[in-house]
Amino acid sequence: MPPNVETLYSDHHVWLQSWLRRRLGNAADAADLAHDAFLRLLTVPRSFGSAPEARVYLRTMAGGLCVDLWRRRQIEQAWLDTLAAMPEAHVPSAEHQAMVLEALQAIDRMLCKVPVKAAHAFVMAVGCDMTDKEVAEELGVSTRMVRKYVAQVMLHCLRAR
Amino acid sequence: MSASNRSSGPSHRSNPANDDALEQAADWFALLRSGEASAADRAAWQAWCDTSDAHRSAWSQVEDIGRRFQPIQTTPNPRDTLGAYRLATVNARRRRLVLGLLTIAGTGSLGILAWRHSPAPIWLAAKTADHRTAMGEVRQITLSDGTTVWLGTASAFDEHFSTGLRRLYLRAGEMLIATAADSSRPFLVDTPHGRLRALGTRFTVRLDNADTRLAVYDGAVEARAAEGAINIIRAGQEVRMSKRGLTDFKPTDPARESSTRGLFIAQHVPLHTVMHELERYRMGYISLSPDVANLAVFGSYPMTDPDRTLAMLESVMPIRVRRPLPWWIRIEAR
Repeated sequence: MPPNVETLYSDHHVWLQSWLRRRLGNAADAADLAHDAFLRLLTVPRSFGSAPEARVYLRTMAGGLCVDLWRRRQIEQAWLDTLAAMPEAHVPSAEHQAMVLEALQAIDRMLCKVPVKAAHAFVMAVGCDMTDKEVAEELGVSTRMVRKYVAQVMLHCLRAR
Repeated sequence: MSASNRSSGPSHRSNPANDDALEQAADWFALLRSGEASAADRAAWQAWCDTSDAHRSAWSQVEDIGRRFQPIQTTPNPRDTLGAYRLATVNARRRRLVLGLLTIAGTGSLGILAWRHSPAPIWLAAKTADHRTAMGEVRQITLSDGTTVWLGTASAFDEHFSTGLRRLYLRAGEMLIATAADSSRPFLVDTPHGRLRALGTRFTVRLDNADTRLAVYDGAVEARAAEGAINIIRAGQEVRMSKRGLTDFKPTDPARESSTRGLFIAQHVPLHTVMHELERYRMGYISLSPDVANLAVFGSYPMTDPDRTLAMLESVMPIRVRRPLPWWIRIEAR
């Protein structure tokens, strides 16, 4: 460990983990995220002028990690609910289920900054092979708008790579 | 500005495709998959691709993004699957608001974040199986007693041989078994749905989600569903075994035996059935136009070579195979 991360760890790890535990209501998740936060500091080292400044930074980063975790769980829960509601003949194999969950989470990460309606138009058009007309009917927008959404979101994904 | 407000401008990694090319590629993509692209559009797109390396590189990045949807496209009902995403993302915005309010109020504690965790994925176990095949692969395996197993595409089984017993556990997919004679040791195949005991025989076992499909070609197999009675299935019979018992008795389809070995023999089989089978051998997505889905197919097709199978079908049937994207096959009337 670079010395400054080591110092940061010993000064702030306990504090950060208990902050996360209050926030998440779960000690195991809090420990995981605190670990992740310091791992990130290791990959992109920074130095801070004062302890409060370090804590502001750590808290902001850990807050972002909470949101990420919570989004992943939200997707997972929605997928489990969807699976539970499927007719048995349509339920994919366990391996396929895991691949789908991974894909859904990756897509969510890719589209998290895109407006919700545009993201939905994009996933329907690309993921379900739906025509502009079909997407337009489902979302209650014009076909022109759907075409625009798909192009915009695709460009967003391309630029974010 | 708070300290947290780091700049996060666009990344400047070297990218052979410039931003103009990316923008054009995104527009082409939107047009080509809209359902309204004409042959002239397609030709214009092809010409655009051929114009420069930047265009080709931009388009391959578009395909990359599209490929991320592949696992979803191959679910039986992609709309339901993406329903999960839509539900989660709509709720996400509402939830984030709640999260923000609670933080402002200083209560901090978020009991609602106690989520159910999914059990350890079963497919991870399949990856550690004694014998397994990749998608599109078919393999012949000789076990230590001389028994031959043809393991179908994306399949896996464990081998537990002991001095008194020969037992296989099918974890995924399908296998054709020709047992070697060994009167001292019974030969068993277990699946989550029950147990099969071979009585000097050749048979296929295929694991589906809800049941196990057994087809016997030689000799006989004794089938015992997990919570059901024992039945003897004789050569020429096919049956489904769920945990509760056996159903759907019918004569064997001779095509099934060869299908485990990667050859699909069709005698008046609807095209959608052939495509469904082909999907087990090929990563990707096949969309079949309803007006050709029920055309009858005849002949033998090598499933382990999907491109050749598609070319063969295209040459003998009134269909056209289109590839809007490499992993995406669309079959229409010619």
